[in-house]
Amino acid sequence: MTLLDYARGPVIQAALVIMIAGIIWRLLGVLVLTRAADLSRPRDAFGNFKGYRTVFSRAWPSSEFLTATRYQTVMAYVFHLATLVVVIGIVPHIEFIQGLTGASWPGLPNGVGVACGIIALASLVALIMRRLTKPAVYCSTWGDYFAWFVVAMPLVTGLMAFAHLGPRYETLLALHILAAALFFAWFPFGKLMHAFWFVFSRAQSGIAYARKGVQI
Amino acid sequence: MNTATLVPEFPTFAEIVQGLGAQIKQLRALAPRPTLPESVRVQRAIATLIAETNADEAVWLESCIRCGQCTTACHYFQATGNTKYAPLRKMNLYRRIYQRELGPFRWWYRLITPPVTLQDLEELQELVFDSCTECGRCTMVCPMGIDIASLVHHQRSALVAAELVPPELAAVQTEQKHQGTAFGASPEALHRMVETIRTQTGIEIPLDKPKAEVMVLTSAVDVVGNARGLWATARVMNHLGVDWTICSDAFESANFGLLSGDMGLWKKQVDLIVAAAKRIGAKTLVIAECGHAYPALRWNPTLKGEELPFEMMYISEYLGRQAEAGRLRLRPLQGRVTYHDPCKTGRRGGAFAEPRAVLKALQADFVEMPANKEFNWCCGGGAGIFLLERATPLRDAAFRIKMQQVDQTGAETVLLSCASCRLNFEAGRQKNQWNKRIESLVELVAEHLIDEGTAAAEGAA
Repeated sequence: MTLLDYARGPVIQAALVIMIAGIIWRLLGVLVLTRAADLSRPRDAFGNFKGYRTVFSRAWPSSEFLTATRYQTVMAYVFHLATLVVVIGIVPHIEFIQGLTGASWPGLPNGVGVACGIIALASLVALIMRRLTKPAVYCSTWGDYFAWFVVAMPLVTGLMAFAHLGPRYETLLALHILAAALFFAWFPFGKLMHAFWFVFSRAQSGIAYARKGVQI
Repeated sequence: MNTATLVPEFPTFAEIVQGLGAQIKQLRALAPRPTLPESVRVQRAIATLIAETNADEAVWLESCIRCGQCTTACHYFQATGNTKYAPLRKMNLYRRIYQRELGPFRWWYRLITPPVTLQDLEELQELVFDSCTECGRCTMVCPMGIDIASLVHHQRSALVAAELVPPELAAVQTEQKHQGTAFGASPEALHRMVETIRTQTGIEIPLDKPKAEVMVLTSAVDVVGNARGLWATARVMNHLGVDWTICSDAFESANFGLLSGDMGLWKKQVDLIVAAAKRIGAKTLVIAECGHAYPALRWNPTLKGEELPFEMMYISEYLGRQAEAGRLRLRPLQGRVTYHDPCKTGRRGGAFAEPRAVLKALQADFVEMPANKEFNWCCGGGAGIFLLERATPLRDAAFRIKMQQVDQTGAETVLLSCASCRLNFEAGRQKNQWNKRIESLVELVAEHLIDEGTAAAEGAA
C-alpha cells in the first residue's frame, strides 16, 4: 500500500468518522444541558423572534466598531469565501465529494481555483501576522496556532501539488490528503467548531437582549 | 409663599461624594475575614459555578475564537492597554472549570489542565470585580455575540462562595445580609430624613400608607446622604398628584446581593419589596435612581412578571411616561445637555426612550454622545466598583474615555439617572477639575416643575 493509497483510504475515512462523531458528541454534550427560564415580563412581545435576527445581523460589525474591526473582518471574509470556493469548486474536490455522496457539479477552471487558493492562503497569513504582532489583544492559546496550522496545511500542500513543487506529485497529493484528514479529525475538538457555535451563541444573546427591548 | 416650591439648601452632591469617600475607607476594616478551609472554599466556588452553568453559559464558553475584538469595546482595556483586562481573558478560568467538570470532553481536560486552586480564584477577583462593570459593551462587538458580562456575574457568585468578595463590597453585603441595611440606611434613618425634608422644605412624604397605587423605592445614597434625591422624588410624585407611598420595611433599591454575586441575598431583598408591594395593593413599583436595582427587580429572571399584580419601572421610565402623557409641567432647561445611559438601565435594560422623552419635555438643547444608547461607554463605576479603593486608578483611567465622549458634545451638563454613575462622575469631575455639571434626572425634573405655588410666586414677583 503506497502512502497515497493509505491517505486516500483508511486515513481519510477514519478522519471523517472522527469528525462526524466528534461534532455530534460535542454539540449534544452542550445542547442537552438545561436552559434557565427567564420569567421576567418581556418589554417586547416579539423579543424572541427579533432576537434571532442577531444570528444574521452580527455577520457584519456595527458602524460603531467598524473602524477598529474592519481589517480583521474583511480578511476573515476573504479567507472564508476563498476557501469555500476552493473546497467545493475545483474538479479534484468535486470528485472526492462525489465519491462520498454521489453528488456532483461542474468545476471551476484551474486558474480560478489556484487564484482562490492563493488568496485564501494570503489572507490566512495576514490574519496570523496580526495575531502575532498584537499579543495583548488576541491573548492567543496554543489551540489558536494549532487551528491555524491545520487550516493552512491543506492550502499549502494543495497549491504545491497543483504546481508540482517539491517531491513527486503522488507524494504531494498524499500529503495534501493527510493534511485534510488532520483538519477533519481536529475539527470537533478546537475552535473550528465556531462554525456551529456561532448560530447558538448569537441567538442566545440576541434573545436575551431583545427581551429587554435592546437590539444588539 | 409656598415653601414647598423652594429648592432646598441640602448638602450638594459634591459634598456627599467627599463624605462618602471617608465612609468607604472605613469599610475595608469592617469586611468579614474568610472562615472556611482553603479546599472547601475552592470546592464551593466550583460547585457554585457548575450549578449556575446552563446551556447558554456552556455555548458562550465554547464559542470564543480569541479574535480579540472585545478589547476594542472595553473601557478598562482601552484605557490601560493592559492585556490582563481583555474581556476574553475574563472567561478563561470559568472555561477551565467548565471543561473539567461539565464539558463533553471533561475526561480529557482533567488530564491536560491543572485543577483550580485558591490562588487562581484570588487572581480572578481583580478580573470579575475591579475590572468589569458587567456593562456588556463587549457583547456588542463580539462576532459570536458572547455575553461575557453574564459569565462574569456567575464568577462573582463563585467568589462569594469562596469568601473572596473584595472587602468594601463584602462589608456592605454582610451588613445588608445581617442588619438589612446598606450604609446604615435603616427605617429609622428614613424616618429622620423624611422629617428633615418636611421641616426644611414643607414637602410631605407619605410613609407607610396601608394602601397606595404607587410604591416608590429610594436608596441608601438618598436616605443617609443626598436628601435632595428623596426631596426631588417626593416633589415629582406630589406634583403628579398620584396616590403613592414609601414603605419603611422595603424602601431600599440597592441590592448588594446582586452586586456582590450573593444570589441568596439578592432574592431576600427582592422578596421583601414584592411582599410590601402586594400588601399595599400597588399597581406600580417605581425603582429609584440606582442602576443595578433595575435588573435586580424588573429583569429578575425568577420573578414571574406576568403574574405580579404590579408593574415595575425605573424612575426614568416612570418620568418619561408621565412626560409623554403631558402630566409634567416643566420650565425649559437652560444650556446644552447630554445624557449618559447607565449600563444597567440602558444596554442591559432597554430604558432608552423614556429619559429622552423627559429631555424633550424639558425642551432641552440635548446632544447625544458619539457612542450612545446600546453603544454607550460605561463610566467605569458601576457594579459596585465605585466602592473598591484598589480599583481607583483603573476607574480613573476608564473615566477619561467618558470625559472625551462628553467633551465632544459641547454640553455643559451631563444628565444621568443612576447613583453609581453619578458618584463616579462626580468623583471624576472633582479629580479632573472638569468644567461640567453632573445632574440627576429626577432632581433636574423636580427643580424645573411648574406647580400652583411656583406660578403664584412667579406672578407675584
